[in-house]
Amino acid sequence: MILARRAGAPQGARPADPRRRTFWILALPPALGLALFLVAPLLFMAALSFRTDLSGTLLAPFAPTLKHYAQLASTAPFLRSLGLSALTALGVAAAATALAYPLAYYLAFRAGRRAAFYLVLLLVPFWTSYLLRVMAWKLMLGGEGVINSLLMSAGIVDEPIAALLYNRGAVIVTLVYVWIPFAALPILAALGRVDVRLHDAAADLYATPFQQFRRVTLPLSLPGVIAAFLMVFIPTVGEYVTPLLVGGTSGTMYGNIIQDFFTRAANWPYGSALAMVMLVGTVALVAVGLRLVNPRRLLER
Amino acid sequence: MQPWRSRSAVRGSLGLVVVSLMAVACGGGASTAPSSAPTNGITPEPTAEATEVPPDQLTGELTVLDWSGYDAEDFWTDFKGTYPNVELGFEFGISDADIYGKMKGGSAADVFHPYTGWLQFYVDEGLVAEIDTSKLTNWDKVPDSFKAIGQIDGVQYFIPWDWGFSSILYRTDKVTGEVDSWDALLDPAYDGHVSMWDDGPAAVTVSSYIHGYDETAITDDQLADIKAEWTAQAPLNVAYWAAESDLVPLMQSGDAWVAYAWQGAYATLLGEGVPVAYANPTEGRNSWVGVYGISASSPNYDLALKFLDQKLADATSANLPNLYYYGSANGDVMAGITDETLKEAFSIDDPDILETTNFTPNLTAEQRDAWTAMWAEVKASQ
Repeated sequence: MILARRAGAPQGARPADPRRRTFWILALPPALGLALFLVAPLLFMAALSFRTDLSGTLLAPFAPTLKHYAQLASTAPFLRSLGLSALTALGVAAAATALAYPLAYYLAFRAGRRAAFYLVLLLVPFWTSYLLRVMAWKLMLGGEGVINSLLMSAGIVDEPIAALLYNRGAVIVTLVYVWIPFAALPILAALGRVDVRLHDAAADLYATPFQQFRRVTLPLSLPGVIAAFLMVFIPTVGEYVTPLLVGGTSGTMYGNIIQDFFTRAANWPYGSALAMVMLVGTVALVAVGLRLVNPRRLLER
Repeated sequence: MQPWRSRSAVRGSLGLVVVSLMAVACGGGASTAPSSAPTNGITPEPTAEATEVPPDQLTGELTVLDWSGYDAEDFWTDFKGTYPNVELGFEFGISDADIYGKMKGGSAADVFHPYTGWLQFYVDEGLVAEIDTSKLTNWDKVPDSFKAIGQIDGVQYFIPWDWGFSSILYRTDKVTGEVDSWDALLDPAYDGHVSMWDDGPAAVTVSSYIHGYDETAITDDQLADIKAEWTAQAPLNVAYWAAESDLVPLMQSGDAWVAYAWQGAYATLLGEGVPVAYANPTEGRNSWVGVYGISASSPNYDLALKFLDQKLADATSANLPNLYYYGSANGDVMAGITDETLKEAFSIDDPDILETTNFTPNLTAEQRDAWTAMWAEVKASQ
């Protein structure tokens, strides 16, 4: 290539743009990884959902059927559960994002030199297992748990409140708690890009602190807020571990139904159909949501 | 516990003596053979003993697809003692469906561990190899009724290993009177304090006992009634339980008073001094049996067979009741139980208990799909 350049060959005739080559070298491994570990299994699952049942060789061709989708369409409890799970995820995402915002704001603008230390503290829960953190909420909310013991020793209630654990409320509380640190990170990143001199400029123009926040800081941080919201919403729709541990009989989510068909029923085709419907539904919801909010417009403003 | 230990120790040392005698015999043969070899120039034909590698020199690898906890050395102590140079690896499944799914998905495991109810599919899908019982030295210790459980269409595909009951476990300090029917699980008197096992076929079984349905031939109408019954029952539960380790703390804390349970939970709670009783319902208890099968695609069939044989040996089998409160398919072991808690848990002194017990029949693929879908709907309706 160096020789070619010395010979004064025109730019366009070069065999390959080195920057392009760098792009491919960097992009190929993750692309291959994604294709192998995400796209291929997803396609396999999609194919599985059109199978009649599991009998016979798994990789052999088969006559496709829509019976699992038809069965799902006629099973009202499953559809209701999907709706409820989406609503739960909306609530959890909204609550986790709202609670994470002040945290991120403090870290970005008020923590000063200790910001790095606080950030580490925020991430400390990740050092313990997810299961352990959910189990901790069992200890908090249980019949002999921290909250009930406190209320009883304070004489506020005589009997432990059974309604704290093993219901949808417990699932929501636990999920919000688990997601707050996750939600704080993209918001923190967005706030970190806000030029603090804009605050001074706003103050010079007689904006009250609240106006400063509402007209300057909040709009500039909205891309982070939306990212945080989606980061919580998308995985929460299919959540199944937390409802299993603290949800009891009334906290079952759509993810638990999918899991049941894989691990308790050995009915992979039906489970795959349920999962595909959730996947398409979630993607559609997010697409519509992004269309309505239009984050690009926010970024350009 | 001690009698078993000592008896197996005697057997073990006897075995060692036999093995060493054989080794001496082979060694003698090997040392004498060469002396005659040069005379005729023909390599001597190996004797039958010479082809059989002594157990302690046998090497190889064996993978077992089992339930978590079953990798404990207590559950293969005889195998380890007899074949110390065979490497044993474990993979885990979290339910019968999961284990079936893994085998169906092409697991490389040589040996797997399903439970009654889930055996037929392995045969239908050609996933399990026939057991050559003539090579099992401990096979005679297994009562015929247990042997029959591992047979499908008259062929021995599985060896029975662990077994136990399902019945109603209840807190005697919270429940007044004696529980004598499965319908206690559906009794509104225990609102908020019931814990049913999170399992569709189990729910169908309980309803069948209560209403006298034939659980091998549940009709669509009956299944609809069963669904309605458990949908109405769901709010009575404090929680469903998925693993015994979920149930024990629920009973211990008093959150659950009445539960569907295996005898293991009963024995554990008794041992911890929790006031509990294990019902003998008029409809009969349910009983289940865990079996081991050899994968049809296993390249290690002979080694797998040796593993199954050692599973049934006395020391390993005795660890089931003594350490984990599970029944063993080794009849000698069960007949020798003296511990009072264990006798209580297995109702060993009740001569009629097995007569009035309902063994879990094998599901068909249609039943499996319909019943588990029914249960998923019950859960989704809440």
